[in-house]
Amino acid sequence: MTLELVAIFLASSFRLAIPLLFAATGELVSERAGVVNMSIEGMMLAGAFGGAIGAAMTGSPLLGLACAVLAVLPVALLQSVLTNTLRANQIVTGIGINILVLGLTTLGYREFFGARSRTTIPGFDAWPVPVLSDLPLVGPLFQQIGMAWLAIAIILAVGAVLTMTGLGITLRAVGENPQAVAKAGRSVLALRHGAVLFAGIMSALGGAFLSIGDIHTFTEGMTNGAGYLAITAVIFGSWKLGRTVMACLLFGAATALQFQLPALGLGIPNALLIMLPYLLAFLAVAGLVGRQTAPRALAQPYWP
Amino acid sequence: MDGSGIVTETVVPVPGTRAAAPSLLTMNGIGKSFGSFVALAGIDIDFAGGEVHCLLGENGAGKSTLCNLVFGIHRPSEGAMRLKGEAYAPSGPSDALARGIAMVHQHFSLVNELTVIDNLLMGGSRGRLDRKAEARRIEALAEEFGLALAPFATVGDLSVGERQRVEIVKCLMRRPQVLILDEPTAVLLPDEIGSLLTVCRQVADSGCAVVMVTHKLAEIERVADRVTVLHRGRVSARSDRPAEEIPALVSAMIQRPAARSGEAVVGAIALAKRKPAGPRPPAGEAMQLDGVSFDDRTGVRRLDAVTLSIERGEIVGVAGVEGNGQSELGAILAGLARPTDGRWFAGGRDLTQASPREITRSGVGIVPEDRHAVGSIGKLSLADNLFLNRMRQFSRLGLIDRRRQMEKARDYIQRFDVRAAGATVAFGSLSGGNQQKAVLARELTTPNLRFLLAAQPTRGLDIGAIETVYGLIRDAAEEGVGVLLVSSELDELIAVADRIVVFYRGRIAGEYPADPVHREAIGTLMSGRSA
Repeated sequence: MTLELVAIFLASSFRLAIPLLFAATGELVSERAGVVNMSIEGMMLAGAFGGAIGAAMTGSPLLGLACAVLAVLPVALLQSVLTNTLRANQIVTGIGINILVLGLTTLGYREFFGARSRTTIPGFDAWPVPVLSDLPLVGPLFQQIGMAWLAIAIILAVGAVLTMTGLGITLRAVGENPQAVAKAGRSVLALRHGAVLFAGIMSALGGAFLSIGDIHTFTEGMTNGAGYLAITAVIFGSWKLGRTVMACLLFGAATALQFQLPALGLGIPNALLIMLPYLLAFLAVAGLVGRQTAPRALAQPYWP
Repeated sequence: MDGSGIVTETVVPVPGTRAAAPSLLTMNGIGKSFGSFVALAGIDIDFAGGEVHCLLGENGAGKSTLCNLVFGIHRPSEGAMRLKGEAYAPSGPSDALARGIAMVHQHFSLVNELTVIDNLLMGGSRGRLDRKAEARRIEALAEEFGLALAPFATVGDLSVGERQRVEIVKCLMRRPQVLILDEPTAVLLPDEIGSLLTVCRQVADSGCAVVMVTHKLAEIERVADRVTVLHRGRVSARSDRPAEEIPALVSAMIQRPAARSGEAVVGAIALAKRKPAGPRPPAGEAMQLDGVSFDDRTGVRRLDAVTLSIERGEIVGVAGVEGNGQSELGAILAGLARPTDGRWFAGGRDLTQASPREITRSGVGIVPEDRHAVGSIGKLSLADNLFLNRMRQFSRLGLIDRRRQMEKARDYIQRFDVRAAGATVAFGSLSGGNQQKAVLARELTTPNLRFLLAAQPTRGLDIGAIETVYGLIRDAAEEGVGVLLVSSELDELIAVADRIVVFYRGRIAGEYPADPVHREAIGTLMSGRSA
């Protein structure tokens, strides 16, 4: 009985962490390049909405995923042009975009599905890993949809690019000292636009996981703070990929606890558990979890 | 430009004896204006392969602008450049780099968080990196020019001299035809300067044109094949035999007769050594440090049991490479930091725990090393900056009596030779020299001034302003103020101070009378070796 609960807990921790893993990896790349995307939340929502519409119209979750990315591109472009080309305040534009996207997706949802609809849309099916998924305890971990494995593949690829390639060094440098990058003859704007677009695409995948991957429906404002959690995970992870991934898993576990603890009959108020990831992030930002090493040029617009 | 220049070109009349090397880069009739400000006008220069060509001039003479034109950061407003006979109009630094022009900027463009090798590969390489192979390749190149390098060290951990070597190697990796160095020695230790000049020579000997911006005449003597002197955006002199024509170069640079050019060579500042003359100033101690130690937030000891006392009327120089505790001492004396250990006094009062306000009231004036961050507020007017810490004197029923403030401000502006369009102009719009004079005006008029800390008071100033600043400091000493003068320019300390203490790793490593004969010994102490 207990073993079964633990197995479910592990699996749901991982499942709940997947959208965060996508978005946080994108945000990490963007922040290493010096751009804070507060709009991750909005981009995830746009992705969730685009994915839902696409899947519902075409009947194919794969095409839905493509629609998710297409839906996010204009949002990411807007964010990037505002903050990089026009050098607007990154925090303010990001929050503005979040409000804009919440409004747009709510409107679109009501137009498309009708108010308060609970239409189920075509989504991905689980893609269990042979043998591993039959193991006791950790078995459920390996009964995820394909996107989970896509997330892990992308994380590994991002890790390799950041540490082992010329592009990776330049990307890290542009968040620390953009002037140096410009003097080395590379375009700061191009790198930062690229980084924000990457964050957008990753957010789209994270958002689409919520709608067509996980619950097969779209609801208004369904990201419900997941984008902010992704940003928090990057801070909590000291802008390092490995630690950010761990932070996402931790936040996933904290969220999973919300569903598990009532089943165990413990009298911990749910609201406290919802706060838990943010509380951890506060501690991290206050410097209680090791030294904070934010990129030096983070959130600073580049002036040549 | 109508050609009616302020300065007529006075070519130093010595025929070149060196075989004329082929010109690599020529600039013809180059002019550059920023709005109505003319930075450069009618510049004709050629840089030849194999030569070290020095650009000499005061601050604001247009040296950096000229470099930026060559490196493609700015585009000339008029005139044309040719590189190896072909038209050369770089659209930006990357274009300049592609055409074989490299530049070591005054402010390093390194990423402190990355390793040396990553900095060197940054921007230039794509795809997967083989760091070990690249490191071997780069080490071989560095060795060719006598540059030692630790490829896997993090840049943030390196000394300034080491970082500069990384910058130079970064340029050399591209095998440039023209290497521009913008004031490369400003940040270096005396013996680091020597090896840098050797590197310049070697790079030139490899066939590259080395363009070095400087205002230190000793360096010109040592390394320059040719010198072009700029004054207010125009060429005011050229020389093919600079080492023999230093006095003429000095006068071309400052456009004043170099009556004391002998000293100018020593210190690049026309300062006469102070003779102890006139009545002795009032005796007594101006300031005393008693075993002052300071640990920073990470627990590193930045000052270690510094004990020092300064008499009234005495100028004590602090020599040392930056980062050896001078900044921390400055912060303590300004009341911005508390010593971890020890006490300090001024005018017989223990000021160890005093606030900045109490310190000022005790007759202590502070010229901070970072006049932008600490010493002034750029967006306020000159008049407000002149009385930042003493605004209350103009206060009437809580309101500022602007008329009285302006009167007094105009008086200060005249007395301290602050050149500004008026007392109400924004402080930030003044030139560095005039900003510093204004800060000095404020600090030197501190009521009952007994002690003055002047930290790097001449940083970034041109020779004229340096002269004025030291004149003011010296006058204050004559009147009985004890002065602690922190500077990274050893020659200036020797010229101005009475005695010099050397800081190394937060300790006083030694003390010498300020006499040129001790120059070498002081330099040795600065680098951490015992004399």
